[in-house]
Amino acid sequence: MKSALPLALVLAAACAPPSLAHHSTAMFDFTKSMTLTGTIKELQWTNPHAWVQVIADGKEYSLECGSPNTMSRQGWKRNTVKPGDPVTVMMRPMKDGTPAGMLVSILLKDGRTLGAGVTPGPPPPIAAAPK
Amino acid sequence: MSRLFAALAAVALIAIPAAPALSQSRPNAQAFARLPDWSGAWTRDTGGFYESTPAQAKDPAPAPTSPRLIPPFTPKFKAIFEDNLRRIAADRYPDPISTCGTPAGWPRLLATPDAYEFVIRPEQSWILSENGPNIARIYTDGRKHPPADELWETYTGSSVGRWEGDTLVFNTVGLKGVGSTILGRQGVVMSDKLMVDTKIRLIEPDRLLITMVLTDPEALTKPWPIAFTFKRLPKDTTVWDYACAENNRNPITDAGQTLTLDPSGKVMDLKTEGQVR
Repeated sequence: MKSALPLALVLAAACAPPSLAHHSTAMFDFTKSMTLTGTIKELQWTNPHAWVQVIADGKEYSLECGSPNTMSRQGWKRNTVKPGDPVTVMMRPMKDGTPAGMLVSILLKDGRTLGAGVTPGPPPPIAAAPK
Repeated sequence: MSRLFAALAAVALIAIPAAPALSQSRPNAQAFARLPDWSGAWTRDTGGFYESTPAQAKDPAPAPTSPRLIPPFTPKFKAIFEDNLRRIAADRYPDPISTCGTPAGWPRLLATPDAYEFVIRPEQSWILSENGPNIARIYTDGRKHPPADELWETYTGSSVGRWEGDTLVFNTVGLKGVGSTILGRQGVVMSDKLMVDTKIRLIEPDRLLITMVLTDPEALTKPWPIAFTFKRLPKDTTVWDYACAENNRNPITDAGQTLTLDPSGKVMDLKTEGQVR
Protein backbone atom coordinates (compact mmCIF):
# COMPACT_ATOMS: atom_id res chain seq x y z
CA MET A 1 0.00 0.00 0.00
CA LYS A 2 1.33 3.38 -0.94
CA SER A 3 1.98 5.54 2.05
CA ALA A 4 3.23 8.74 0.47
CA LEU A 5 1.09 11.81 0.88
CA PRO A 6 -0.63 12.96 -2.29
CA LEU A 7 1.90 15.16 -4.09
CA ALA A 8 -0.60 17.89 -4.79
CA LEU A 9 -1.46 18.16 -1.11
CA VAL A 10 2.17 18.27 -0.08
CA LEU A 11 2.92 20.97 -2.62
CA ALA A 12 -0.13 22.89 -1.51
CA ALA A 13 1.14 22.81 2.04
CA ALA A 14 4.72 23.69 1.15
CA CYS A 15 3.70 26.52 -1.15
CA ALA A 16 0.98 27.96 1.04
CA PRO A 17 0.13 31.57 0.24
CA PRO A 18 0.99 34.31 2.71
CA SER A 19 -1.03 34.01 5.84
CA LEU A 20 -3.36 36.71 7.06
CA ALA A 21 -2.80 35.16 10.48
CA HIS A 22 -6.30 35.16 11.72
CA HIS A 23 -8.19 33.37 8.97
CA SER A 24 -7.90 31.22 5.86
CA THR A 25 -6.99 32.79 2.52
CA ALA A 26 -8.73 30.06 0.54
CA MET A 27 -11.27 32.54 -0.87
CA PHE A 28 -8.56 34.40 -2.79
CA ASP A 29 -7.22 33.32 -6.17
CA PHE A 30 -3.44 33.40 -5.81
CA THR A 31 -2.97 32.49 -9.46
CA LYS A 32 -4.34 35.88 -10.49
CA SER A 33 -3.31 39.49 -9.94
CA MET A 34 -5.94 42.14 -10.63
CA THR A 35 -4.97 45.80 -11.04
CA LEU A 36 -7.61 48.46 -10.50
CA THR A 37 -7.43 52.22 -10.88
CA GLY A 38 -10.01 54.14 -8.92
CA THR A 39 -10.62 56.31 -5.89
CA ILE A 40 -10.56 55.67 -2.19
CA LYS A 41 -13.93 55.50 -0.50
CA GLU A 42 -12.73 54.57 2.97
CA LEU A 43 -9.80 53.19 4.94
CA GLN A 44 -10.87 51.04 7.88
CA TRP A 45 -7.81 51.26 10.13
CA THR A 46 -8.86 48.40 12.38
CA ASN A 47 -7.87 44.97 13.64
CA PRO A 48 -7.71 42.14 12.89
CA HIS A 49 -7.35 43.53 9.37
CA ALA A 50 -7.42 46.96 7.85
CA TRP A 51 -9.65 47.33 4.79
CA VAL A 52 -9.28 49.69 1.85
CA GLN A 53 -12.58 50.40 0.11
CA VAL A 54 -11.96 51.45 -3.50
CA ILE A 55 -14.46 52.62 -6.12
CA ALA A 56 -13.40 51.35 -9.55
CA ASP A 57 -15.25 50.29 -12.68
CA GLY A 58 -18.50 51.48 -11.11
CA LYS A 59 -18.18 49.05 -8.17
CA GLU A 60 -16.98 49.23 -4.60
CA TYR A 61 -14.15 46.79 -3.91
CA SER A 62 -13.30 45.58 -0.38
CA LEU A 63 -9.55 45.07 -0.20
CA GLU A 64 -8.26 43.21 2.81
CA CYS A 65 -4.88 44.12 4.30
CA GLY A 66 -2.74 42.94 7.20
CA SER A 67 -3.19 44.52 10.61
CA PRO A 68 -2.58 48.22 11.28
CA ASN A 69 0.35 46.94 13.35
CA THR A 70 2.12 45.25 10.43
CA MET A 71 1.10 48.00 7.99
CA SER A 72 2.49 50.75 10.20
CA ARG A 73 5.87 48.96 10.05
CA GLN A 74 5.68 49.10 6.25
CA GLY A 75 5.17 52.84 6.04
CA TRP A 76 1.42 53.24 6.46
CA LYS A 77 -0.18 55.88 8.62
CA ARG A 78 -3.87 56.06 9.49
CA ASN A 79 -4.25 58.94 7.02
CA THR A 80 -2.08 57.56 4.20
CA VAL A 81 -5.19 57.46 2.02
CA LYS A 82 -8.24 59.69 2.27
CA PRO A 83 -11.67 59.50 0.63
CA GLY A 84 -11.41 60.67 -2.96
CA ASP A 85 -7.70 59.96 -3.35
CA PRO A 86 -6.80 58.44 -6.73
CA VAL A 87 -5.02 55.08 -6.37
CA THR A 88 -4.00 52.06 -8.34
CA VAL A 89 -4.13 48.79 -6.49
CA MET A 90 -2.91 45.30 -7.22
CA MET A 91 -4.79 42.51 -5.48
CA ARG A 92 -5.51 38.81 -5.40
CA PRO A 93 -9.18 38.67 -6.35
CA MET A 94 -11.89 36.55 -4.82
CA LYS A 95 -12.33 33.21 -6.58
CA ASP A 96 -16.07 33.73 -6.93
CA GLY A 97 -15.71 37.07 -8.68
CA THR A 98 -17.23 39.21 -5.97
CA PRO A 99 -15.67 42.68 -5.78
CA ALA A 100 -13.14 41.98 -3.05
CA GLY A 101 -9.64 40.65 -2.66
CA MET A 102 -6.39 40.62 -0.74
CA LEU A 103 -4.45 43.84 -1.30
CA VAL A 104 -0.86 43.25 -2.42
CA SER A 105 0.37 46.72 -3.46
CA ILE A 106 -1.07 50.21 -3.63
CA LEU A 107 0.27 53.10 -5.73
CA LEU A 108 -0.49 56.39 -4.00
CA LYS A 109 -1.04 59.80 -5.53
CA ASP A 110 2.36 60.93 -4.23
CA GLY A 111 4.03 58.17 -6.27
CA ARG A 112 4.85 55.85 -3.40
CA THR A 113 4.02 52.17 -3.59
CA LEU A 114 3.20 50.41 -0.34
CA GLY A 115 2.56 46.80 0.55
CA ALA A 116 -0.38 45.78 2.66
CA GLY A 117 1.30 44.36 5.75
CA VAL A 118 0.61 40.80 4.64
CA THR A 119 4.04 39.76 3.46
CA PRO A 120 7.44 41.05 4.59
CA GLY A 121 9.77 42.90 2.27
CA PRO A 122 9.19 45.53 -0.39
CA PRO A 123 5.86 45.57 -2.24
CA PRO A 124 5.60 44.33 -5.81
CA PRO A 125 5.68 47.36 -8.12
CA ILE A 126 2.60 48.58 -9.96
CA ALA A 127 3.22 49.90 -13.46
CA ALA A 128 0.12 51.98 -14.09
CA ALA A 129 -0.15 55.50 -12.70
CA PRO A 130 -3.29 56.75 -10.93
CA LYS A 131 -5.63 58.66 -13.21
CA MET B 1 2.43 63.95 61.26
CA SER B 2 1.16 61.47 63.79
CA ARG B 3 -1.26 60.14 61.18
CA LEU B 4 1.63 59.70 58.76
CA PHE B 5 3.60 57.83 61.39
CA ALA B 6 0.63 55.62 62.16
CA ALA B 7 0.22 54.85 58.46
CA LEU B 8 3.90 54.02 58.09
CA ALA B 9 3.77 51.84 61.18
CA ALA B 10 0.76 50.00 59.81
CA VAL B 11 2.54 49.41 56.53
CA ALA B 12 5.60 48.19 58.41
CA LEU B 13 3.53 45.76 60.48
CA ILE B 14 1.98 44.35 57.35
CA ALA B 15 5.23 44.20 55.45
CA ILE B 16 7.55 42.78 58.10
CA PRO B 17 6.06 39.28 58.38
CA ALA B 18 6.17 38.84 54.62
CA ALA B 19 9.69 40.14 54.19
CA PRO B 20 11.68 36.96 54.91
CA ALA B 21 9.68 34.88 52.45
CA LEU B 22 9.95 37.52 49.73
CA SER B 23 13.67 37.93 50.17
CA GLN B 24 14.16 34.18 49.84
CA SER B 25 12.15 33.91 46.65
CA ARG B 26 13.47 36.96 44.85
CA PRO B 27 16.42 36.43 42.52
CA ASN B 28 19.45 38.49 43.39
CA ALA B 29 21.18 41.12 41.30
CA GLN B 30 23.77 38.62 40.02
CA ALA B 31 21.00 36.42 38.62
CA PHE B 32 19.60 39.37 36.69
CA ALA B 33 23.08 40.35 35.48
CA ARG B 34 23.54 36.91 33.90
CA LEU B 35 20.46 37.32 31.69
CA PRO B 36 21.03 38.00 27.99
CA ASP B 37 19.62 41.09 26.28
CA TRP B 38 16.37 40.07 24.60
CA SER B 39 14.83 43.50 24.99
CA GLY B 40 12.76 45.27 22.39
CA ALA B 41 10.32 43.95 19.81
CA TRP B 42 10.92 40.99 17.54
CA THR B 43 9.44 39.36 14.49
CA ARG B 44 9.89 36.03 12.78
CA ASP B 45 12.34 36.07 9.92
CA THR B 46 11.57 32.59 8.73
CA GLY B 47 8.20 31.35 7.63
CA GLY B 48 5.88 28.80 9.13
CA PHE B 49 6.93 25.61 10.83
CA TYR B 50 7.17 23.86 7.47
CA GLU B 51 9.99 26.03 6.22
CA SER B 52 11.89 25.77 9.47
CA THR B 53 15.09 23.85 9.53
CA PRO B 54 18.08 24.58 11.70
CA ALA B 55 20.12 25.15 8.52
CA GLN B 56 17.75 27.80 7.25
CA ALA B 57 17.65 29.28 10.71
CA LYS B 58 21.39 29.95 10.50
CA ASP B 59 22.22 27.78 13.44
CA PRO B 60 26.00 27.84 13.76
CA ALA B 61 25.94 24.71 15.88
CA PRO B 62 26.08 21.35 14.19
CA ALA B 63 22.52 20.26 13.76
CA PRO B 64 20.95 17.45 11.89
CA THR B 65 18.87 18.89 9.33
CA SER B 66 17.05 18.02 6.34
CA PRO B 67 14.04 19.81 5.09
CA ARG B 68 11.21 18.45 7.10
CA LEU B 69 8.17 19.69 5.30
CA ILE B 70 6.02 16.90 6.65
CA PRO B 71 6.27 15.70 10.25
CA PRO B 72 6.85 11.96 10.79
CA PHE B 73 3.18 11.24 11.35
CA THR B 74 1.68 8.03 12.59
CA PRO B 75 -0.89 6.58 10.17
CA LYS B 76 -3.76 7.99 12.23
CA PHE B 77 -2.38 11.53 12.23
CA LYS B 78 -1.27 11.33 8.62
CA ALA B 79 -4.90 10.68 7.76
CA ILE B 80 -5.96 13.65 9.89
CA PHE B 81 -3.35 15.81 8.15
CA GLU B 82 -4.48 14.76 4.69
CA ASP B 83 -8.08 15.46 5.58
CA ASN B 84 -7.07 18.87 6.92
CA LEU B 85 -5.24 19.67 3.67
CA ARG B 86 -8.35 18.85 1.66
CA ARG B 87 -10.47 20.99 3.97
CA ILE B 88 -8.00 23.88 3.69
CA ALA B 89 -8.01 23.69 -0.11
CA ALA B 90 -11.82 23.71 -0.08
CA ASP B 91 -12.05 26.51 2.52
CA ARG B 92 -13.75 24.18 4.99
CA TYR B 93 -11.09 24.09 7.70
CA PRO B 94 -12.49 25.38 10.99
CA ASP B 95 -9.41 27.06 12.38
CA PRO B 96 -10.20 27.83 16.04
CA ILE B 97 -8.24 31.11 16.14
CA SER B 98 -10.42 32.56 13.37
CA THR B 99 -13.26 32.93 15.86
CA CYS B 100 -11.30 35.71 17.59
CA GLY B 101 -11.72 34.11 21.00
CA THR B 102 -9.29 31.23 21.11
CA PRO B 103 -5.56 31.53 21.73
CA ALA B 104 -3.12 30.19 19.17
CA GLY B 105 -1.57 28.05 21.90
CA TRP B 106 1.83 26.43 22.09
CA PRO B 107 3.84 26.29 19.93
CA ARG B 108 1.65 27.99 17.30
CA LEU B 109 1.78 31.36 19.04
CA LEU B 110 5.32 31.66 17.66
CA ALA B 111 4.02 31.58 14.07
CA THR B 112 2.15 34.86 13.74
CA PRO B 113 3.19 37.71 11.43
CA ASP B 114 3.12 40.51 13.99
CA ALA B 115 5.56 41.56 16.73
CA TYR B 116 6.80 39.69 19.78
CA GLU B 117 8.36 40.53 23.11
CA PHE B 118 10.49 38.21 25.21
CA VAL B 119 10.29 39.36 28.81
CA ILE B 120 12.84 37.50 30.86
CA ARG B 121 13.61 37.24 34.54
CA PRO B 122 15.66 34.63 36.38
CA GLU B 123 12.61 32.89 37.81
CA GLN B 124 10.04 33.39 35.05
CA SER B 125 9.80 34.56 31.45
CA TRP B 126 6.95 35.57 29.20
CA ILE B 127 6.63 35.43 25.44
CA LEU B 128 4.08 38.03 24.37
CA SER B 129 2.70 37.97 20.86
CA GLU B 130 1.10 41.12 19.54
CA ASN B 131 -1.18 39.03 17.35
CA GLY B 132 -3.85 37.25 19.31
CA PRO B 133 -2.67 38.47 21.71
CA ASN B 134 -1.07 35.36 23.19
CA ILE B 135 1.06 34.84 26.26
CA ALA B 136 3.39 31.95 27.05
CA ARG B 137 4.48 31.80 30.69
CA ILE B 138 7.67 29.90 31.38
CA TYR B 139 8.61 29.14 34.97
CA THR B 140 12.32 28.78 35.74
CA ASP B 141 12.12 28.97 39.53
CA GLY B 142 12.76 25.27 40.02
CA ARG B 143 9.15 24.14 40.05
CA LYS B 144 8.00 21.00 38.28
CA HIS B 145 4.91 20.59 36.13
CA PRO B 146 1.77 20.27 38.24
CA PRO B 147 0.91 16.68 39.19
CA ALA B 148 -1.44 14.87 36.84
CA ASP B 149 -4.55 15.57 38.89
CA GLU B 150 -3.78 19.31 38.89
CA LEU B 151 -2.81 19.62 35.24
CA TRP B 152 -5.64 20.02 32.78
CA GLU B 153 -5.21 20.47 29.06
CA THR B 154 -5.00 24.07 27.89
CA TYR B 155 -4.08 25.79 24.64
CA THR B 156 -0.70 26.97 25.91
CA GLY B 157 -0.02 24.20 28.44
CA SER B 158 2.44 24.19 31.31
CA SER B 159 6.03 25.30 30.66
CA VAL B 160 8.83 24.81 33.17
CA GLY B 161 12.57 24.92 32.70
CA ARG B 162 15.81 26.63 33.55
CA TRP B 163 18.51 28.94 32.31
CA GLU B 164 21.57 27.15 30.95
CA GLY B 165 24.00 30.04 30.60
CA ASP B 166 22.43 32.35 28.07
CA THR B 167 19.93 29.76 26.84
CA LEU B 168 16.36 29.45 28.06
CA VAL B 169 15.51 25.75 28.16
CA PHE B 170 12.02 24.53 28.92
CA ASN B 171 9.53 21.74 28.52
CA THR B 172 5.85 22.16 27.70
CA VAL B 173 3.06 19.65 28.36
CA GLY B 174 -0.64 19.78 29.14
CA LEU B 175 -1.81 20.76 25.65
CA LYS B 176 -5.31 20.19 24.34
CA GLY B 177 -4.60 18.08 21.28
CA VAL B 178 -6.59 17.49 18.09
CA GLY B 179 -8.77 20.42 17.12
CA SER B 180 -6.80 22.80 19.30
CA THR B 181 -3.08 22.01 19.16
CA ILE B 182 -2.38 23.24 15.66
CA LEU B 183 0.98 24.38 14.35
CA GLY B 184 -0.30 26.72 11.68
CA ARG B 185 -2.85 26.93 8.94
CA GLN B 186 -1.18 24.12 7.02
CA GLY B 187 -3.10 21.34 8.73
CA VAL B 188 -0.51 20.00 11.17
CA VAL B 189 -2.16 18.98 14.41
CA MET B 190 -0.82 17.08 17.40
CA SER B 191 -2.41 15.04 20.17
CA ASP B 192 -2.84 15.84 23.84
CA LYS B 193 0.27 13.68 24.44
CA LEU B 194 2.44 16.31 22.78
CA MET B 195 5.54 17.36 24.67
CA VAL B 196 7.68 20.22 23.39
CA ASP B 197 11.30 20.78 24.43
CA THR B 198 12.35 24.31 23.54
CA LYS B 199 15.65 26.19 23.62
CA ILE B 200 15.97 29.91 22.95
CA ARG B 201 19.22 31.83 22.65
CA LEU B 202 20.83 34.70 20.81
CA ILE B 203 22.96 33.62 17.87
CA GLU B 204 23.63 37.17 16.68
CA PRO B 205 23.16 40.46 18.52
CA ASP B 206 19.72 40.89 16.95
CA ARG B 207 18.73 37.34 16.11
CA LEU B 208 17.17 34.71 18.36
CA LEU B 209 17.28 31.04 17.47
CA ILE B 210 14.44 28.89 18.73
CA THR B 211 14.88 25.15 18.46
CA MET B 212 12.20 22.67 19.41
CA VAL B 213 11.80 18.96 19.58
CA LEU B 214 8.21 17.80 19.40
CA THR B 215 7.54 14.40 20.90
CA ASP B 216 4.09 12.88 20.58
CA PRO B 217 3.59 9.11 20.84
CA GLU B 218 0.13 9.35 19.27
CA ALA B 219 0.85 11.74 16.40
CA LEU B 220 4.52 11.15 15.59
CA THR B 221 6.58 8.03 14.94
CA LYS B 222 9.72 9.79 16.20
CA PRO B 223 10.67 13.15 17.72
CA TRP B 224 10.37 16.02 15.25
CA PRO B 225 13.07 18.72 15.53
CA ILE B 226 12.29 22.15 14.15
CA ALA B 227 13.99 25.52 14.37
CA PHE B 228 13.37 29.08 13.37
CA THR B 229 14.70 32.54 14.09
CA PHE B 230 13.39 35.89 15.17
CA LYS B 231 14.99 39.20 14.27
CA ARG B 232 14.96 42.27 16.48
CA LEU B 233 12.88 45.14 15.14
CA PRO B 234 14.17 48.74 15.19
CA LYS B 235 14.66 50.12 18.67
CA ASP B 236 11.75 52.57 18.48
CA THR B 237 9.21 49.90 17.47
CA THR B 238 5.97 50.10 19.42
CA VAL B 239 3.97 46.94 20.01
CA TRP B 240 0.28 47.68 19.62
CA ASP B 241 -3.09 46.41 20.63
CA TYR B 242 -4.56 43.67 18.46
CA ALA B 243 -8.27 43.26 19.04
CA CYS B 244 -9.32 40.43 16.77
CA ALA B 245 -13.04 41.08 17.22
CA GLU B 246 -12.79 44.85 16.63
CA ASN B 247 -13.77 44.74 12.96
CA ASN B 248 -13.79 41.08 12.03
CA ARG B 249 -15.17 40.97 8.49
CA ASN B 250 -14.25 37.30 8.11
CA PRO B 251 -16.57 35.25 10.31
CA ILE B 252 -16.37 31.45 10.16
CA THR B 253 -19.32 29.15 9.60
CA ASP B 254 -19.81 25.89 11.43
CA ALA B 255 -18.94 24.19 8.13
CA GLY B 256 -15.49 25.79 8.31
CA GLN B 257 -16.00 28.36 5.55
CA THR B 258 -14.39 31.79 5.95
CA LEU B 259 -16.84 34.45 4.81
CA THR B 260 -16.13 37.96 3.61
CA LEU B 261 -18.40 40.79 4.72
CA ASP B 262 -18.89 44.13 3.04
CA PRO B 263 -18.56 47.30 5.16
CA SER B 264 -22.23 47.09 6.15
CA GLY B 265 -21.82 43.53 7.43
CA LYS B 266 -23.53 41.82 4.51
CA VAL B 267 -22.03 38.52 3.31
CA MET B 268 -20.32 39.01 -0.06
CA ASP B 269 -19.59 35.36 -0.94
CA LEU B 270 -21.82 33.95 -3.65
CA LYS B 271 -22.00 30.50 -2.05
CA THR B 272 -22.04 29.84 1.65
CA GLU B 273 -22.32 26.70 3.74
CA GLY B 274 -23.30 26.53 7.40
CA GLN B 275 -24.12 29.11 9.98
CA VAL B 276 -21.75 31.71 11.40
CA ARG B 277 -20.19 30.36 14.60
